[in-house]
Amino acid sequence: MSAQISREDLRKLVADWLAAGKKVFGPVRVKPGLELYAPLASAGDLLLDGWVRPANSIKELVFPRHEALYGYRISKNRVELVDLAAEIPEQIAIGAHPCDAAALTALDKVFNWDSRDEFYNRRRAATTVITLACAAHDDQCFCTSVGLGPAAERGSDAILFPTAGGYELQAVSKRGQTLFPELAGEDASPTGAGASACQPFPAKFDPARVAAFAKEHFEDPFWAGHALACVGCGACAYTCPACHCFDMVDEGNGREGVRARNWDACQFNMFTLHASGHNPRANQGARQRQRIYHKFVMYPEKFGQILCTGCGNCARNCPAGLGVLPVAMEIGNG
Amino acid sequence: MSGGNGFEPRIVAFVCNWCTYLGADLAGTSRLEYPPNVRILRLPCTGRIDTNLLVKALEGGADAVLVSGCHPGDCHYNAGNYHARRRWMLFRELLDALGFDMRRLHFTWISAAEGRKFQQTITEITEQTRALGPYRPYEAAAAQASIPSNLDRACPAPAPQTEHELRDVARRLLAAGEVKVVIGYGARGPVFITKPEDADQLVWNEGCHANLTTYLKRKEVRALGKPAIVVKGCDERALVVLEKESQIRREDLRVIGVACDGMGQEKCVACDVHQPRFADDLVGRQAEAQNQPQTARYAGLEALLAKTPDERLAFWSAEFDRCLKCYACRQVCPLCYCERCIADKNRPQAIDASPHRKGNFAWHIARAMHLAGRCVGCDECTRACPAGIDLRLLNLTLARAAETQFAYRAGMDRMADPPIGAYSLQDKEDFIG
Repeated sequence: MSAQISREDLRKLVADWLAAGKKVFGPVRVKPGLELYAPLASAGDLLLDGWVRPANSIKELVFPRHEALYGYRISKNRVELVDLAAEIPEQIAIGAHPCDAAALTALDKVFNWDSRDEFYNRRRAATTVITLACAAHDDQCFCTSVGLGPAAERGSDAILFPTAGGYELQAVSKRGQTLFPELAGEDASPTGAGASACQPFPAKFDPARVAAFAKEHFEDPFWAGHALACVGCGACAYTCPACHCFDMVDEGNGREGVRARNWDACQFNMFTLHASGHNPRANQGARQRQRIYHKFVMYPEKFGQILCTGCGNCARNCPAGLGVLPVAMEIGNG
Repeated sequence: MSGGNGFEPRIVAFVCNWCTYLGADLAGTSRLEYPPNVRILRLPCTGRIDTNLLVKALEGGADAVLVSGCHPGDCHYNAGNYHARRRWMLFRELLDALGFDMRRLHFTWISAAEGRKFQQTITEITEQTRALGPYRPYEAAAAQASIPSNLDRACPAPAPQTEHELRDVARRLLAAGEVKVVIGYGARGPVFITKPEDADQLVWNEGCHANLTTYLKRKEVRALGKPAIVVKGCDERALVVLEKESQIRREDLRVIGVACDGMGQEKCVACDVHQPRFADDLVGRQAEAQNQPQTARYAGLEALLAKTPDERLAFWSAEFDRCLKCYACRQVCPLCYCERCIADKNRPQAIDASPHRKGNFAWHIARAMHLAGRCVGCDECTRACPAGIDLRLLNLTLARAAETQFAYRAGMDRMADPPIGAYSLQDKEDFIG
């Protein structure tokens, strides 16, 4: 269930996927100092060498920042709904970090627990995730603190482990196996901990302590003090692989338009603002608390896993040096 | 009325109720014929026509837009047209830098007596637009052009002595009860020091990028009581604008200025405000000679403007396509202090909330215009953007327009009148028909 693949063969395979009309998504350098997961124009754009942490996540493949759900046309006394469902091309994320892949399983749960979200699921069904085991980590990484690691399999369909001449390829799911001719005929099943190039690094905090603190200190000056530096933007939530809040908007004129959903974020002051003018989360402290509480208490109680995969994007993208890790370390080690 | 290719241009005309609208009326009652391609929107005064509306017209499928008001001296409200003229001067520069086709945007003065001028104007614009063809700017985006940024600057490392001085000042102010909180830089980001014994948390190093004056608007920070704020020379410019706009009272604030040799950012290359000028307390000494920018102030802009309009539009399309609408640009901006941003209003919705190309163009045009003649060039928006959008170029466009047309640089002179909100009878109007 594992095979060797050279760098050249892997790139050739990616080129073949692109030629076959598949949408391939991977880390690319957009400009100096800016790496993002983005659709590949050519296989040569793909950044696999070294350790590159894109500033965004792969959630856009299954949960785009903007998605038109259906159209509407209004005539005299009736409203006609227009189906916009376009064919979703087969899409492959390659070079995803294990922390990005793992977050998809959290999204799966939230988009399927009461009703099945057809828009999410049709994209999810068309998506294959090929993870690149991490060869390194930086100061903001903390996957090992939330039960994952540099070679975690959760959410991946196949994993690439960097070797001297290329990669050791391991299939995790049938879907991952079928993408690679090298794996034909092998058994696809989770392999347990693979041989990561990066030694799992020590945990930086204990998530159970964070959860306990958040529950016991719901009303605590800690949150307000901590939130003073927060400017109230959505950079953390929008670059988080697991954050999934959205807003619904109607766009159009008096005759026709579309209903769309767009990302939304709990750090905006209008996120919980009622039409009455009352705002249950009236200050930034309450909003910062919500983000931690949702990730470490509410979601785990409902779905049995932490809504954070330790990618560290929140802290890397925060203009004010905040994020899950600094807060959790302050709680967990304080 | 049909053209050879069957294309009938759609012209949207935003006209003043007191002059051009009556001019159109006169054209009608005088039986003067003009093409039926124009949709007239009557508004009280050109001075109150938000540039967002012009953008919205283009978004909505207008092939050309006309704005027409009263001749200089004729305004029903004395000066509405003069204010409008200034806004258009800046708005045109912005749209040009974005790569819009400036032949689609028309400004005229037409009085109530000029029925014939209205007829001629509409006829000319219709014919010109017919020749140009349909306008769908957001669908263009040919090959992506890139704007090189090679302005990295190696700045001297801040002197450790400055950090000690800074802590001493903070400790003294807090101990004496002169301020309740010191807003400064900490090891990880901004810190809010309320006890003298915590003053050692303050740092001064090459990571002190942030413009902390943005925190003065936040109600959570205001609740702490009278602040002292640590500013660099560039940050201080924002205080000048905030004071001018009555957002802060200088006597309610203690300003600790730190002489800065640069933080290694693009803005530092052309910096001429290394030394804060209006601070109450000044710490540090500048290592380099003051006011010796290494390059022209608008150097980054030349590469953009050297491109063709289509290339510029392609460049911005690619940039804005990455926009997530996280509003980090707005939130870190010291001068974006509206209680409720126009982007968050939905009755009426001037700017599409969605982060698609149309919505992103509308947002970034509105953001830039609302900072026209106000932006102090701290580049916090650009630093904060997780998608790496080069917002700096838009700000520079308008800063340069304000400097070349009105000899004004925001936050430099506490006495100078800002370009928006003031006007001059001598303002340039060679673009007005």
